[in-house]
Amino acid sequence: MSAETTSPNNNSQPNGDGGTPSEDSAGTYECNICLETANDPVVSMCGHLFCWPCLHQWLETRRQRQTCPVCKAGISKDKVIPIYGRGNPNPQDPREKLPPRPPGQRTEPEGSGAFPNFGFGGDGGFQFSFGIGAFPFGIFASTFNFNDGRPAPPAHGSPQEAEEQFLSKVFLWVAIIFIFWLLIA
Amino acid sequence: MASRRGNVNVPVRQKASKSSAQDNHSVTKRLQHELRTLMTSANPGISAFPDGDNLFKWIGTIEGAKGTVYENLQYKLTLTFPSGYPYQALTVKFTTPCYHPNVDTHGNICLDILKEKWSALYDVRTVLLSIQSLLGEPNIDSPLNVHAADLWSDQEAYKKHLLQKYEQDVRSKQQS
Repeated sequence: MSAETTSPNNNSQPNGDGGTPSEDSAGTYECNICLETANDPVVSMCGHLFCWPCLHQWLETRRQRQTCPVCKAGISKDKVIPIYGRGNPNPQDPREKLPPRPPGQRTEPEGSGAFPNFGFGGDGGFQFSFGIGAFPFGIFASTFNFNDGRPAPPAHGSPQEAEEQFLSKVFLWVAIIFIFWLLIA
Repeated sequence: MASRRGNVNVPVRQKASKSSAQDNHSVTKRLQHELRTLMTSANPGISAFPDGDNLFKWIGTIEGAKGTVYENLQYKLTLTFPSGYPYQALTVKFTTPCYHPNVDTHGNICLDILKEKWSALYDVRTVLLSIQSLLGEPNIDSPLNVHAADLWSDQEAYKKHLLQKYEQDVRSKQQS
């Protein structure tokens, strides 16, 4: 049903807006929510254009299931790309407007730095964990784990990082004491 | 983590309450835009216009599509827009009694895009077109009007009953 309803809309939009060619070309850059020329434009990964304030409000109204209003693809705040044009058509447009547009993301090209998170301690990419299996010597198997499938380490200098580092040290000492106890006993 | 998230939330909520007047303005703007589009484009079988000065309440008409049992029948509906439109769906109700598997006796319509499948992209035009196509293609599995749903398989009998109902509910009232 939904697919049927969107298709006539998309097909007839150019005719619907009709009139002068300039109006037609403006329709290409209309926000899909407010239907006006997009203001603070962002584009979703599925290629649909929105004003950032409009899309932000749409995402706020449905936090659980965030989908693209046009094609219902998954969408999130981090997965939209802002579009920076050359000139600003309305010079009075205030930049301090809330909410801020997400910043552009620049990913490094593939191939450089094959293991960015490999190494000890360097940038917080190393975490220590300690576990006891059914067999006491299982601890050796689970002692050293490199970032495998766990959430990324918190940002440098954040309180979480300090907390995790502290916990990591506590467990390290508990492990060392346990191993000593095993050797002595 | 919880405290951090809370901090982020607060300014957003404050902002929402502060800019409600501005939001109202953007709803009006969008509705005006929709009205303009609706007036300038040809939409056979559907029409809608604001009810008086209130831009948040419209009256629409739908004609049954050709080739369906609803052909030549005309239905009036009310369209009510919430202040959160288009982020929240509009409410559509039949004012003309409509005998249909997905319409109840009060004129309420069971249509997914008006409920959980709503998207900010939908507008008056697409909603009316959807209801028009719903007339000819009811969803028999979740009926509001069980009698109509049961009768649907027998199109001859359905059409007869539908016309009889329409005559009784609509044409007689128009004359009086």
